[in-house]
Amino acid sequence: MKNLIVKYWQILRKPSVHFSLGFLTLGGFIAGIFFWGGFNTALEVSNTEAFCISCHEMEDNVYEELKSTIHYTNRSGVRATCPDCHVPHEWTNKIARKMQASKEVWGKIFGTIDTRDKFLEHRLTLAQHEWARLKANDSLECRNCHNFEFMDFTAQGKRAVQQHSTSLANGDKTCIDCHKGIAHQLPDMKGIEGWH
Amino acid sequence: MTLDRRAFMKASAVSAAATAAGMNIPIQASNLVTDSKLTSLKWDKAPCRFCGTGCSINVATLDNKVVATHGDIKSPVNKGLNCVKGYFLSKIMYGKDRLQTPILRMTNGKYDKNGEFTPVSWDTAFDVMAEKYKKAMKEKGPTSVGMFGSGQWTVMEGYAAVKLMKAGFRSNNIDPNARHCMASAVGGFMRTFGIDEPMGCYDDFEAADAFVLWGSNMAEMHPILWTRITDRRLSAPHVKVAVLSTYTHRSFDLADVPMIFEPQTDLVLLNFIANYIIQNDKVNWDFVNKHTNFARGNTDIGYGLRDDHPKQKAAKNADKASGSTPIKFDEYAEFVSEYTLEYASQISGVEESRLLKLAQMYADPKVKVMSLWTMGMNQHTRGVWANNLVYNIHLLTGKISEPGNSPFSLTGQPSACGTAREVGTFSHRLPADMVVANPKHRKYAEKIWKLPEGTIPPKPGFHAVEHNRKLKDGEMNVYWVQCNNNMQAAANINEEGLPGYRNPENFIVVSDAYPTVTAQAADLVLPTAMWVEKEGAYGNAERRTQTWHQLVSAPGESKSDLWQLMEFSKRFKIDEVWPKELLDQSPEHKNKTLYQVLFENGQVNQYGIEEISKDHLNDDANHFGNYVQKGLFEEYATFGREHGHDLAPYERYHQERGLRWPVVDGKETQWRFKEGSDPYVTAGAGWEFYGKPDGRAVIFALPYEPPAEEPDDEYDMWLSTGRVLEHWHSGSMTQRVPELYQAVPDALIYMHPDDARKKGFRRGDEVKVISRRGEMKSRVETRGRNKPPKGLIFVPWFDASRLINKVTLDATDPISKQTDFKKCAVKLEKV
Amino acid sequence: MNKFITLLTIFGVLTASALFAQDIATLRNGVEISKQEKSQPIPNPIKDDIKVGRNYPMQPPIIPHNIRDYQVDLNVNKCLSCHSRNRISESQATMVSVTHYMDRDGNFLAEVSPRRYFCTQCHVTQHDTKPLVENDFIDMQKLIAIRAEKAK
Repeated sequence: MKNLIVKYWQILRKPSVHFSLGFLTLGGFIAGIFFWGGFNTALEVSNTEAFCISCHEMEDNVYEELKSTIHYTNRSGVRATCPDCHVPHEWTNKIARKMQASKEVWGKIFGTIDTRDKFLEHRLTLAQHEWARLKANDSLECRNCHNFEFMDFTAQGKRAVQQHSTSLANGDKTCIDCHKGIAHQLPDMKGIEGWH
Repeated sequence: MTLDRRAFMKASAVSAAATAAGMNIPIQASNLVTDSKLTSLKWDKAPCRFCGTGCSINVATLDNKVVATHGDIKSPVNKGLNCVKGYFLSKIMYGKDRLQTPILRMTNGKYDKNGEFTPVSWDTAFDVMAEKYKKAMKEKGPTSVGMFGSGQWTVMEGYAAVKLMKAGFRSNNIDPNARHCMASAVGGFMRTFGIDEPMGCYDDFEAADAFVLWGSNMAEMHPILWTRITDRRLSAPHVKVAVLSTYTHRSFDLADVPMIFEPQTDLVLLNFIANYIIQNDKVNWDFVNKHTNFARGNTDIGYGLRDDHPKQKAAKNADKASGSTPIKFDEYAEFVSEYTLEYASQISGVEESRLLKLAQMYADPKVKVMSLWTMGMNQHTRGVWANNLVYNIHLLTGKISEPGNSPFSLTGQPSACGTAREVGTFSHRLPADMVVANPKHRKYAEKIWKLPEGTIPPKPGFHAVEHNRKLKDGEMNVYWVQCNNNMQAAANINEEGLPGYRNPENFIVVSDAYPTVTAQAADLVLPTAMWVEKEGAYGNAERRTQTWHQLVSAPGESKSDLWQLMEFSKRFKIDEVWPKELLDQSPEHKNKTLYQVLFENGQVNQYGIEEISKDHLNDDANHFGNYVQKGLFEEYATFGREHGHDLAPYERYHQERGLRWPVVDGKETQWRFKEGSDPYVTAGAGWEFYGKPDGRAVIFALPYEPPAEEPDDEYDMWLSTGRVLEHWHSGSMTQRVPELYQAVPDALIYMHPDDARKKGFRRGDEVKVISRRGEMKSRVETRGRNKPPKGLIFVPWFDASRLINKVTLDATDPISKQTDFKKCAVKLEKV
Repeated sequence: MNKFITLLTIFGVLTASALFAQDIATLRNGVEISKQEKSQPIPNPIKDDIKVGRNYPMQPPIIPHNIRDYQVDLNVNKCLSCHSRNRISESQATMVSVTHYMDRDGNFLAEVSPRRYFCTQCHVTQHDTKPLVENDFIDMQKLIAIRAEKAK
C-alpha cells in the first residue's frame, strides 16, 4: 500500500519523467473536457425545477404557491421554472449565485425552514433577497423573457399600458418594483415602498 | 303607498291646472332632475332576505318598485354594511320568469301528473288541493299528508303552518329546510343546555381576544360578521384568528393559525383540547363544580340511513342515539386522556405546533375566545356530538355567557332561529322549545290555541330526509313545499327525492316565486310573494327578532305563503279533518271551517284593520279583514313570554332595528344564563343554565366515530359541498340577478392541480363526478378561490343545471336527523 | 271584476306561453331533472378596464379588471396598493370611497377602516356570459323621467 502511494506521488511530482508530452497534453485536454462536461452537467442539473423542488421546503411552500399563478399555467403554455427567475443567466453571476447556494445547503442540513411555520417566519427575509437582486440588476431575469423593447402595447390591458409606458419606460421603475408577488405569495408588506 | 299616489296625483293636478292657467312649472333646471317632488325616495327598513347574520337594510321604493337598497347605518348588526348579495336585493324580485298565476299539470282540462303545466285560477288550485288532502286523510289518515317549510318563512307563516298541520290536519309531518342546516346545533343546545339558541350575541365580536372558526367559511357565508372579526383582529394586534377546515378557502386569508384537517377528525381535535385543558390544569374548578354535570353519551349510533342499510343494522345504538349515562369528572378525564397531541396530529394531519396554539387559546384563562361554526359541524353525521364537544371546552374553562367568551353557533338562514326553531316548525316540536312527545307541552299548546285536549298528535312525524323516503315509498301522498327548493337541496336526488316527487300516488304542491327545480318536479305550483311584497318578521342568529312592512305589491296573482295557508284552511270543515271524539269535546267548533277554528279564534283576529300602518301596504291584512300578522305574532308570543323566550309587543319591532329575546320589562338580553344580563337567572347564582332542571350544563364524553362513507380504491376522492359568497342557497334568487350570475356563473369542481394532472384533466375540462348514487357533470377549476388539499374536491350547490345532490349521500346525524353534505366518496371521469 | 282580471291574466299568460311548457325550471333550460345538458365552458373574466354603470348610487362598483391571484390577507392588501389614497397619483386608479374610512360608529379614521379590508365581499368581477334569465329591475332615473313626463 505504502509503495503504491509513493509511486503515484512520484508520477505527480515529475510527470514528464513517466509520460510523454503528447500523452500529457492530449490527456489533459480530454480530461479537461470530461471535467468541464461534468461540472457543467452538475451545474445544469442543479439548475432545474426538479432539483429545486427535491427539497420539501421548496416543494411544499413556494412551489405549491406557484401552481395557481400565471407563470405556472397560462394561455400559451410558456412557463417559468425556478432557475428562469432565480438563477442569473449570465455566467459570472450564475457562478456567484451557485457559491452563495452553499448557504441553502446549510439551511437544508440544519432545518432553517423545514416546517411551514419556520418558512413563514423567514418569508420576508427570503423575499427581500430576491427583490434586492432583481432591483440591482434591473430585473434582468424578468427581461430575459419579457423584453421591454418588444412589448406590444396594443395587446396589453389599459392598466398595463398606463404603467409600462410611463414609469417603466423612463427607467423610474423596474419590473420587480410593481410585480412583487407575481409568482409566490407576498410576505408582510408593511413599510414596503410602493405598497402603502 | 296610498299617500304617495295621492300626493303624486295632487301634484299632477296642480301642474295640469297651472299649465291650463298659462303658468309653466319648471321640472328640470339642468341635465339633472332636481325637483324634490320627483327625486325624493321613500326609505324603509327591512331585514336582509339572505343569511342568518340578519343585517338590516334600508329599502328605497318609487312607484311601487324597489329601486335601491343600502346597509342600515342604524342597525348594530351591520352598521351600514352589506355583502354583495345584500347590495343586489333590489333586483331579486324582478326576474323575468316570475310566476304570476297558479299552474297545474293538466291534460285535456283535467289534472294529470304527466300533463303540461297549465295556468289555472286560485279557486281551481285550492279545489284540486283540498280534494287531494281530503282523500288522502280519509284513506290513510293524517300521516299521509306532509309539509316542507322553511327557515326563510316569516315568523307568522311558520306559526300559521304549525297550527294548520299539527292542530288542523293533526299531522306532525311538517319539517323545515332548517333541518338541513341547524338541527345538529339544536340537538347540541338541547343536550348540553336544555334550551335552544346561542347564549352570546354579536357584541362578543368586539370583545374577544381569539376567534376559532370550526369548519365555517365566514368570509363568504357570514360576510358582515367577518367584517366585525376583521375589524377586531386588525385593530387590536394581540387578537388571533384560528381557522379549521377540510380545504383552504377565503377565511384563511385572516388566519394566524390555519389548519387543514382530515374530514371528521374535528371530533378528535375537540377532545384533544379538552384533554389539554385537563392535563395542563386549566380547568376552571369553581365553574365546573357549581354549574356542570358530566355524562357519557351513547356511541355506535348509526348514520340515519334506511333501516335495511348494513351500516344501520350493524349499529348497536341506532334506536337510542341521544341517550347518555351520568358520570363523574374522573371518568370523563380518563375518557379524553387518549386524545393526546400525537394522536390528534397524526389522525388529523395538522402540525402539532398549530394544535398547541389552538389549545392554548382555550386553556389560557386570560384569553377571551369565541368559537364559531355552521355547516362544517352541523352537516355532519356526528354533528350533535361536535356541538356538545365545543361546549365542553367552553364549560371546562368557564368561558361562556360573557363578552368575548362565546361558543357561538352561527345560523345559516335568515329565520331558522326566528321561525323554524322558535316557532317549532319541526316534526317533533311546538313553539318555545316544547315538543309534541311531552303531554304537558301539548296540553299547554292546546290551551293557548283554545282546542280540545288530544288535538295535537303525540308521535313525532317524518323529518326532512324521511319526507323524501316516505314519498318514494308511497306512505306520504300529499305534500306541500313552501319557500325552499328541496329537490335541489336535499341529498341523493336520484334514489330518493326525484322518485318521491314523481311517484304517481303522490300530489306535490310547491309555493315559490320562481319556477325552480322543485317546481318542475311538482304537480301544482303556486305563485308566491317574496320579501318586501308582504309584511313579516325574521329572527337572526343572535336572537334578534326584526319586522318589516310590505313596501311593494306582489306581481300578478302571486300571494304570500301566509295568505295561501290561511286561505286554504277555509276549504276544510272541521268535521272533515277531526275525528268525532275530538269534535265531541269541543261542540263550539261544530260546523266551523278550519280557518275559523285556527285563525278566527278571537286571538289571531283580535286586531282590527285600523291598526295596520297607514304609510304602508298590507295586502294580507286587508284581505282577511284584520291585522293577521300582529294577531299571529301576539298569540305565538304567549308561548314564550315568562318561559325564557319573551318577545316584545309586536308594534315595538316596527320601531327598533330588532330586539334580542328574552325581552323582559322592555329590555333585551345580550348574554343568557348570566346573572346581571339575563333576568331569568336567580340572584346570587352567577351562571344558571335554567334549561336544565338543576341549572347545570352537561359536559359530554363523546368519541371519534368514522364517517358514513370514506374514499376507497374505486371512489378515491372526498366530496364536500357548500356555497359561495355571491349565491344564496339554490340560486333561485341570486342566479336571476345578472351581476351576481356573471360574478360566479356556474358551479365548478374545485380541485388540487396535482390531482387534476394525475387524472389527466386540465382546468376547464368537462368531468363527471360519480358516486354510488348518481353523477353530475361540470368543469374543473384548479386555481379558484377554494384550494382543496389532494384527495378532496369541493362543488357548490347553487347551480340548477349542475345538481351535485345527485351525488351526495343522505346519511344523517342519528340524533338531529341532519344530512351530512360535507363527506361522501366520489370518483372523477373525463366526459 | 276579479274574475275578469283573472281571465285576462290567464289569457295574457297563455299567449306568452313559452314559459308554461312542460319543463319550467328556467335556470336549467327546462331540462328533465334526471338528465343534464353539456356544461358550458368556464367563461372568461371581463377585464377590459371599462367602468360598468351602477344600478343605483349605493351599489359597490363592479371590478372591471383582472384580479387573478390578487392577495388580500394578513400580509398584504393588493387592492389598496393601487386604490388607496396615497397610491392613486401613481396608479391612476379610482380612489376607494370615502365611506371606507369610517369605523363602525361613523367616525372617520386616518386610514381605510379594517371593516372594509376584504374588498371582494362587496366588489365582484364579471364573466363573459349571457345571464340565464333577464331581469326587469327599473333604474330609478327611468321612473323619475316617466313621472316628469306625466307632470308636464
